[in-house]
Amino acid sequence: MGNKLNPVGGGGWLPAGLASNQEADHMSRFKMPPQIFRLVLLTIGIVVSYLIARQLLTPASFRDFGFYRGAALEEVASRTPVYAGKKACDECHSEVLLKLAKGDHKTVSCETCHGVSQEHAGNPDITPVKLTGSHCIRCHEANPSRPAWFHQITVKNHYTGQKCTECHVPHQPNEVP
Amino acid sequence: MSLEITNAIVEAIPRFEGYVYPNESGTHPLWGFLIVLYPYITGLVAGAFIMASLVRVFRVKPLEPVYRLSLLTALAFLLCATLPLLFHLGHPERSFQIMITPHLTSPMAIFGFVYAWYLMAVLFLELWFDYREDFVEWSKTESGFRGILYRAFTLGVTDVSDKALALDHKLSWIISIVGIPSAFLLHGYVGFIFGSIKANPWWGNAIMPIIFILSAMVSGIALCVFNYMVLTWVRRRTLDLRCLDVMGMFLFYALVIDATVEALDWIHRAYSAEEGFHVMEYMAKERLFYTLSIGQVLVGTLIPLLLLGILQVLRKRIPDAVRKRMYFGSAVFILIGVLAMRWNVVMGGQFFSKSLRGVMSYKLEFAGVEGWFMGLILLSLPFIILTVLIKLFLAERLPTSGHVPHRMEGI
Amino acid sequence: MKFEFSRRRMLGAVSGALAGLLSAPAARAAKATVQKVFASSGAPNGYDPYKHKWLMCFDVDKCIGCGLCVDACKTENHVPQASHYFRTWIERYIIKKPKPGSDRTRGEVLVDSPNGGRDGFPPTVVPREEILKSFFVPKLCNLCEASPCTQVCPVGATFDTPDGAVLVDPNYCIGCGFCIQACPYGCRFLNPETKTAEKCNLCYHRITRGLKPACVEICPTEARIFGDLKNPVVDDPIQAFIQKNKVFSLKPHLGTEPRVMYANLDKEVR
Ligand code: SF4
Ligand code: SF4
Repeated sequence: MGNKLNPVGGGGWLPAGLASNQEADHMSRFKMPPQIFRLVLLTIGIVVSYLIARQLLTPASFRDFGFYRGAALEEVASRTPVYAGKKACDECHSEVLLKLAKGDHKTVSCETCHGVSQEHAGNPDITPVKLTGSHCIRCHEANPSRPAWFHQITVKNHYTGQKCTECHVPHQPNEVP
Repeated sequence: MSLEITNAIVEAIPRFEGYVYPNESGTHPLWGFLIVLYPYITGLVAGAFIMASLVRVFRVKPLEPVYRLSLLTALAFLLCATLPLLFHLGHPERSFQIMITPHLTSPMAIFGFVYAWYLMAVLFLELWFDYREDFVEWSKTESGFRGILYRAFTLGVTDVSDKALALDHKLSWIISIVGIPSAFLLHGYVGFIFGSIKANPWWGNAIMPIIFILSAMVSGIALCVFNYMVLTWVRRRTLDLRCLDVMGMFLFYALVIDATVEALDWIHRAYSAEEGFHVMEYMAKERLFYTLSIGQVLVGTLIPLLLLGILQVLRKRIPDAVRKRMYFGSAVFILIGVLAMRWNVVMGGQFFSKSLRGVMSYKLEFAGVEGWFMGLILLSLPFIILTVLIKLFLAERLPTSGHVPHRMEGI
Repeated sequence: MKFEFSRRRMLGAVSGALAGLLSAPAARAAKATVQKVFASSGAPNGYDPYKHKWLMCFDVDKCIGCGLCVDACKTENHVPQASHYFRTWIERYIIKKPKPGSDRTRGEVLVDSPNGGRDGFPPTVVPREEILKSFFVPKLCNLCEASPCTQVCPVGATFDTPDGAVLVDPNYCIGCGFCIQACPYGCRFLNPETKTAEKCNLCYHRITRGLKPACVEICPTEARIFGDLKNPVVDDPIQAFIQKNKVFSLKPHLGTEPRVMYANLDKEVR
């Protein structure tokens, strides 16, 4: 018998050292073929080390909200915004915003024309970007794809050599200066 | 400087016709040649395993000479099967997360377990039970590195009594039976990874796993023919022509079924002509002409069908030397054709926009992680592993126990 | 007898250890429900994701194709500059009149999006008389209810948050690109620098601070409507929009159930 030659492979549930000689006879009652015993041992080893690895390597916040790393929410949220937002402008320039709210440009945000102003909001000495007439044209140049309600001009026919702002006030587009 | 010029040229060549979503209009396909290799290699594994189970489960006696070779082939390719996936990841160092936090709704995550199951519960086990007697024997006769290796492989079990061996045979027969659906699962699953993408009408198709399995069987058998012929040639042995004929027969039948099902798929697509069929049709004609019409249909299907068909009918009348060449030729053509088929599936799905309004044209580079070179290295790796495996487990000087898988009395 | 006893004990010990290992994640999940508000430094303090449900919708009739939103998105989110990385983009549809004599209802449909619309749209080469109609359609992540990208991500690196965004965890994404293939709307791309998937996240760092997403902030015509479905205030823009308009979503047949909805959409838009 193979297990006589090699007690470790003998298929008992206990390592040879623990199973005393008298018990070896009892063992035959529970004998498991040696190959199978080895494989069962190996399988248990693999499964247990997988479970331990899983235990150690799963991020702490995993499944906090769902099947993902819960900490990711805060990580994604902690980037600093680039655009300051109309509310920030309102803190100092409320009079301009009031004027703006009366005309057709009421839906336009400050940074739509003045550009990123986060720095300016933090430090008024940094001036926001100066805008040019090409910026007006970007929206108002006639284009068959633009909706009909939108105010459009064909620059070729409309432009008479002046700057847009000589005739139009961006903050109050419905008024003529 | 030259880089600038190539860049300028690449910029100048229109990368797409019609409209494609801006995010799709890059210069590279998202999944390149590596992902073409991934289903190719897994398919070869599944096919080679099914080849081996023809011997063990279906007791096709003439195929005995290739039984162990096909199992080793399956193992060599399986060991490489995840490499292309791994290399194409943006963060290969995070790949362990797939096993640690597998998202159970993701085909890709489950693939990790299907793979582990197939490797450890099927292939390793079947090989171990088949080789156990030999390991015990070799560990006694061999010394040095080999001796240590074989001793380790016995896992300390030295019982080679008749009773124990009978159990070995019985178990490996059971494992083979479990192995067939597992091999189908393994490769069907690869098909499902593509078939589950409903966003892509070229991929999102219920028949995809079936097509993958069928073509896998074809390519796996072809690979075994190829390996067997090369091995006997290298060792200057005589080919067992009877074995070759039987392999050729199975190859022919598998190919017929595969070609029929794929043709059915196309007919169905063309007939139902759902949204987006026109752009796919255009793409197949313009972008996949060489790989689809020439590679897959002509080289991979029609020519081998013809060769193998002739061999089925006129086997007796063809001289042995010609017959061998014809088998070898069909095997090689099929291997090329199935590679082309994988290319058509993987790249075809990325050659047209999901807006269904345009097609892209990608250029595959030679260098780079997703380039040809890397792909060729990866493709030769399993052959290198196979050589090592053959040296270890099919060495000519090592006597084998002489038991034959099909002769399993008492089962 | 003694042996059997010890065997049972050993089995007990092994299965006990296994049970412990298996149940540990569950125990962790139970613990987690307690802490919900953002507390870490840098994150907007006290924000509770369960108290909001953000959503963006579009009124196609209001989009003038200025492309300022595309530019704002790139600036706000440091999106790679190249012309094939966009979290949001504008498409121009030009539907031509049917050819004279043809019995079709519409002619050819031309779609383009030069540089994602970031630089605005140059006047079209199609003569005005040949155009049946033309319009702009802004696109971004459709915030699918049954998002295929979340479904296929092998590691849970992309997910639906309780407050309505679909986020990518850049520190956990393995960069496999499966989600990019699975998104039917072409909303995702693999960031060439971080090598992880990226897409519109509704400017999660802004909305959690009470700001609007950059594109909504910048849009001059309010074509982009943004709001909170859980906002108790009656005149929340998104609630009003959904009430007032008949809306449609993109590729509904795929069953992704996009929450992003469009008013005044044409059938040609996919
Ligand atoms: S639109 Fe694309 S990225 Fe957004 S949730 Fe849907 S599938 Fe995901
Ligand atoms: S690229 Fe990242 S987010 Fe997308 S499926 Fe892969 S791991 Fe998930």
